[in-house]
Amino acid sequence: MVLKQVELSNFRLHRSTSLSFSDKLNLIIGGNGQGKTSILEAIYYLCTTKNLNLASEKDVVTFGEQFFEVAGSFSDISNNKTRIFFDNILNKKNFFLDDKQVFRSADIYGKFPIVILIQSDHAITLGAPSERRRFVDSVLSQASHSYLEILLEYNKTLRQRASLLSLLKETNDKNLYSQLDAWTETLIENGSEIIKQRVNFVNEFNVYMDQTYDKVIDKLEVPRIVYNTLCDMDEENTKQKFNDAIASAREEEKRKCTNLVGPHRDDFIFHINELELKRFGSQGQHKTFQVVLRFAQFFYIKDKLGKTPIFLMDDVFGELDFFRAEKISEYLSEVGQTFITTTDFTRMEELNLIKENRIIKVEHGKTSYA
Amino acid sequence: MLLAEPLERAIEELSKLPSIGKKTAQRLAIHLLKNDQTDVDSLIKAIVELKTKIHFCVDCFNLAVDDKCAICLSQKRDKTIICIVEEASDVIAIEKTNEYNGLYHVLGGVLNPLANVTADSLHIAELVKRVDSGEVTELIFALNPDSEGDTTSLYLIKIFKEYPLKLTRIARGLPIGGDLEFADIATIGRAFIGRITV
Repeated sequence: MVLKQVELSNFRLHRSTSLSFSDKLNLIIGGNGQGKTSILEAIYYLCTTKNLNLASEKDVVTFGEQFFEVAGSFSDISNNKTRIFFDNILNKKNFFLDDKQVFRSADIYGKFPIVILIQSDHAITLGAPSERRRFVDSVLSQASHSYLEILLEYNKTLRQRASLLSLLKETNDKNLYSQLDAWTETLIENGSEIIKQRVNFVNEFNVYMDQTYDKVIDKLEVPRIVYNTLCDMDEENTKQKFNDAIASAREEEKRKCTNLVGPHRDDFIFHINELELKRFGSQGQHKTFQVVLRFAQFFYIKDKLGKTPIFLMDDVFGELDFFRAEKISEYLSEVGQTFITTTDFTRMEELNLIKENRIIKVEHGKTSYA
Repeated sequence: MLLAEPLERAIEELSKLPSIGKKTAQRLAIHLLKNDQTDVDSLIKAIVELKTKIHFCVDCFNLAVDDKCAICLSQKRDKTIICIVEEASDVIAIEKTNEYNGLYHVLGGVLNPLANVTADSLHIAELVKRVDSGEVTELIFALNPDSEGDTTSLYLIKIFKEYPLKLTRIARGLPIGGDLEFADIATIGRAFIGRITV
């Protein structure tokens, strides 16, 4: 799948920007704060309906304007157009697929697959378990619609159950216990399915990690992701262990009014050569792992969906000097359509630019082709 | 914008209705204004009677003109089976199929602690009373297949587990006229689990 063109109106610094793209590499260059990342942000909106950095839509509207709009056209087996319109006064976001309004963003999730390598990725390897869960959930949700639906149901069940726990604490009504049991059963039903799918995912994804590591770095390093959940692989076993764990946490759950047991508390432990990355990894190893996670995500989604995702790299190219540049370049040519923002003009030669590539200069919200 | 006050009020009231926006409300109000007096009167009468004449059935909480609804009063219905649904609109949907000849029980919602709905706010005690009083042999759960609906079914199953009853849940699966290849995986998965011998 490729993104042919976009049009941005009142989108941050871009009052009115219209761009067409190469099917291969698109290099977006310019100084800091000129509006490079905004272009990636707009592309992300077109693919997901969501903001790239979970920023508020209000902040995206050009200062003093009443709306922003982004429209784009994709080309795959068929051609599709998506458009997002945000009304700043009504504080309302509308998303359109081929001029028909889409009301649930879950309905288009995975239709326009996208993988993005971004500065804030450092949180995936260095941050809290929630960051790693979000990474895994986002990859799995793009690849499997049923996973996304179960995850949404599971999250809803968590909120319902937490709310019942507070009610239980407040009123101490004995009749609520049997209702709590019913919610617990639903939680275990959905939660076990999530665990099962995550187990399968980690097994499959480790193969992609291995292959990618082999290709991008010279050193002999073996990456591995270990899924840390409340139980092991066997499905029946999962439900039983889930049940036992929740039973023994019951008093504490009541006291804290939160759900203490379930896949919403899982972690994924990253290893390099059998050593835990978070504890023993060097800066360089962290960076490598983050990059490889994204490349692996790319090929995983490509295989699962049979559709080539769009690949975005935001301002990270300059940091990749410990990779052999030609390897990255070789890799990118395999990847398909790629968008890279950079302030660093010096390393451009290393990318082996070819005729089909496109260089876009950005200067205070105005764009030109070089 | 200065509108005649009664017109403005009519637009305001109409736009409170579900799926009616300001523009549609305005179109409806103007239409009513142009309409014959008799048509408007019969609409008013219908709305007034809707509120004054329709009650909830004392047995099953379906919509009724008298104390009991037409289904509970009918001699032709099988009084040994009760189908449990969320809202009266679900009764209408199931009745249209002509596949079911038993009675109903409208819960008036599903368990939803976030919206402050617990078992006490649903017509569950009344259901237990109905089952206790005698002739029921089967309960059919026909709630929506989401977390709230499933949890409500699970809760009711716990209550009625000890009773000498047949407990069933309506099947989940593929829509009629739907294409297998376009159905979502969760639905196909459920359809396989619930497959039947032919």
